[in-house]
Amino acid sequence: MAVQTFLFASLIIFSSIESNHGATEVSLFTNLENSLEVTAKPTRVGVVWEAGKDIVRITWMLKSSAKVNDDAAFKTVEVKLCYAPISQVDRPWRKTHNELSRDRSCPHKIVSKPYDKIPQSLNWTVDRETPTGTYFIRAYGTDVNGYEVAYGQSSDAEKTTNLFSVEGISGRHTSLDIASICFSVFSFGSLLVFLVKEKRKAKLQQRK
Amino acid sequence: MAPNHSNENGSIGISLHGVTAREQIFSFSVEDAPWSQAIRSDDPTAKFALPVDSEHRAKVFKPLSFAKPHMRAFHLGWISFFTCFISTFAAAPLVPVIRDNLDLTKTDIGNAGVASVSGAIFSRLAMGAVCDLLGARYGTAFSLMLSAPAVFSMSFVADAGSYLAVRFMIGFCLATFVSCQYWTSVMFTGKIIGLVNGCAGGWGDMGGGVTQLLMPMVFHVIKLTGATPFTAWRFAFFIPGFLQIIMGILVLTLGQDLPDGNLSTLQKSGQVSKDKFSKVFWFAVKNYRTWILFVLYGFSMGVELTINNVISGYFYDRFNLTLHTAGIVAASFGMANFFARPFGGYASDVAARLFGMRGRLWTLWILQTVGALFCIWLGRASSLPIAILAMMLFSVGTQAACGALFGVAPFVSRRSLGLISGLTGAGGNFGSGVTQLVFFSSSRFSTAEGLSLMGVMAVVCTIPVAFIHFPQWGSMFLRPSQHEERSKEEHYYGGEWTEEEKSLGLHEGSIKFAENSRSERGRKAVLADIPTPETGSPAHV
Repeated sequence: MAVQTFLFASLIIFSSIESNHGATEVSLFTNLENSLEVTAKPTRVGVVWEAGKDIVRITWMLKSSAKVNDDAAFKTVEVKLCYAPISQVDRPWRKTHNELSRDRSCPHKIVSKPYDKIPQSLNWTVDRETPTGTYFIRAYGTDVNGYEVAYGQSSDAEKTTNLFSVEGISGRHTSLDIASICFSVFSFGSLLVFLVKEKRKAKLQQRK
Repeated sequence: MAPNHSNENGSIGISLHGVTAREQIFSFSVEDAPWSQAIRSDDPTAKFALPVDSEHRAKVFKPLSFAKPHMRAFHLGWISFFTCFISTFAAAPLVPVIRDNLDLTKTDIGNAGVASVSGAIFSRLAMGAVCDLLGARYGTAFSLMLSAPAVFSMSFVADAGSYLAVRFMIGFCLATFVSCQYWTSVMFTGKIIGLVNGCAGGWGDMGGGVTQLLMPMVFHVIKLTGATPFTAWRFAFFIPGFLQIIMGILVLTLGQDLPDGNLSTLQKSGQVSKDKFSKVFWFAVKNYRTWILFVLYGFSMGVELTINNVISGYFYDRFNLTLHTAGIVAASFGMANFFARPFGGYASDVAARLFGMRGRLWTLWILQTVGALFCIWLGRASSLPIAILAMMLFSVGTQAACGALFGVAPFVSRRSLGLISGLTGAGGNFGSGVTQLVFFSSSRFSTAEGLSLMGVMAVVCTIPVAFIHFPQWGSMFLRPSQHEERSKEEHYYGGEWTEEEKSLGLHEGSIKFAENSRSERGRKAVLADIPTPETGSPAHV
């Protein structure tokens, strides 16, 4: 019994030692060049943007300070909506990770366009399904294979400036509320009806 | 004379004996009525589809039948319990959507999870009284139909506070565990009640698994009709709400409290041994074994309830599965209940046949500890196949431990059986609340770390089973008492009655139970030749 327990325990222990896969090439954020300049200008300034309603003018281009041929590798530019640190607090599913394939901080894709040497821009309506939060905009320059080689963002390196807030839709509907009330009343009501009916039957029964 | 329930001769493997088996001991002088199946005691089998005993409780368990009233009660009972599990954990697989809609933090989600299991701590305790006073039918129907509005009110939820409040109110419906087990206990005879209750309990618990499949599917279908995700998840809650209303109506129209009719239409003449609640409560609370079982169930059922809340989100976040796939994986945890819990009870019965109560205790310890070890492994697994394997083994171990625990619980007390089962059940919810609060409600631990630490805590909190000692049967490490008096079952169960009560013959049910429980001596029961001792009570009246 003791031997079996020991063997079983060692099986558990050895299985839980994580195996080391062979190291593969991974894109790290710290390896990226900050060679893109991204700006985001809302049509309404100074207010919280509403999901599905407000329009933002996003522009991106190669930085004037960038070296020549910095953009040789770029094939496409992917513009994404990223969470600011304040929207990441106590929310581990939005964590920033240096390894880009594991990074969860930029889940909302805005647009993906082929790279052009001239500055590009887009009038983007904030997606209706964007959750409530504080954001900034980041653009990744990706190469032929889809790996990120450079980036640019509308905020500074610490992600403290030029942030904007979005208010998501509530998802509530009056029709849903009414249906909910109706069914709740039905539930209570049918229970009451049964109680009353059975009490009456019992009274009749006793009288017999 | 007090007719008793366990009148079958021979030893009984009463595993998984249910809750509040407060035997309704009626002398049947019932008025004839079209809706109550009033029959004479001298013609017991005439109107029943299944063979019955002298109290008209079924002697046979036929899961595929819907015959009135026994099998119908079984099916209505377990499906009601199943529906309530679906509602209570319906939010869990949709949390990735809900957390974006309501801007929830991990703390908010964890607290709501704690709230979802906390309400039932109180409602389970109250349900025992409700079943006694109003019958199992109304107990079940109240639970279903009074909490259905809470399920529908998810359409109003706008922030973390209201989300928590709604989940708390939905959680009250888990009291159907008590009413379901109570209902089967009055419908099925003692010899088979273990299997019946194990099936009812296990199949009901499956709801926690089915919901992980059902809700993402419903959500997806609603989205296909054009709704945004933030509306679709609210509408998805209407399905569990409908199910609850439908089951409530079925229970009220098709169900029957007792084999002979409904409580309100039966005359309660000749009812004996209606015990005093204060006494029953005192003996339950005074017995230290009750509290050890409270803790133990908190780390078998408690862990299971916690996993129902966190596992879908865990697979979604850690392994990047879709909502749908994460739901399938999470569902297989709960679905294992279909066979795992009855298996645990069966294993307990087999161990008792060979080694008596000591076998039951060891079975319980082994199953629960093994389950907890696999939980530690689950938290540490970094690849999806290993995680799924660990989760499956973990689920079987923990759920079988739940079944095995209810193989021990019926023997802790005879007088307070119902209350002890109710307290144990509440312990499950309490354990779930504690583990969610400590490990899954803050950013202190990642979910993976939380799982492993919860497994460690479960291993530690299973050790107290070694301290459960029955003088007549022993414990995990100690032999039964050699003392002349204390080594008898009658002494243990008789000890719950005062001399005055004994002189009134109120304890006779316990003595009969003590005789039947000699099976817990294992193989030695065959060798033992202990005549029923004189209890010193006056001649049976």
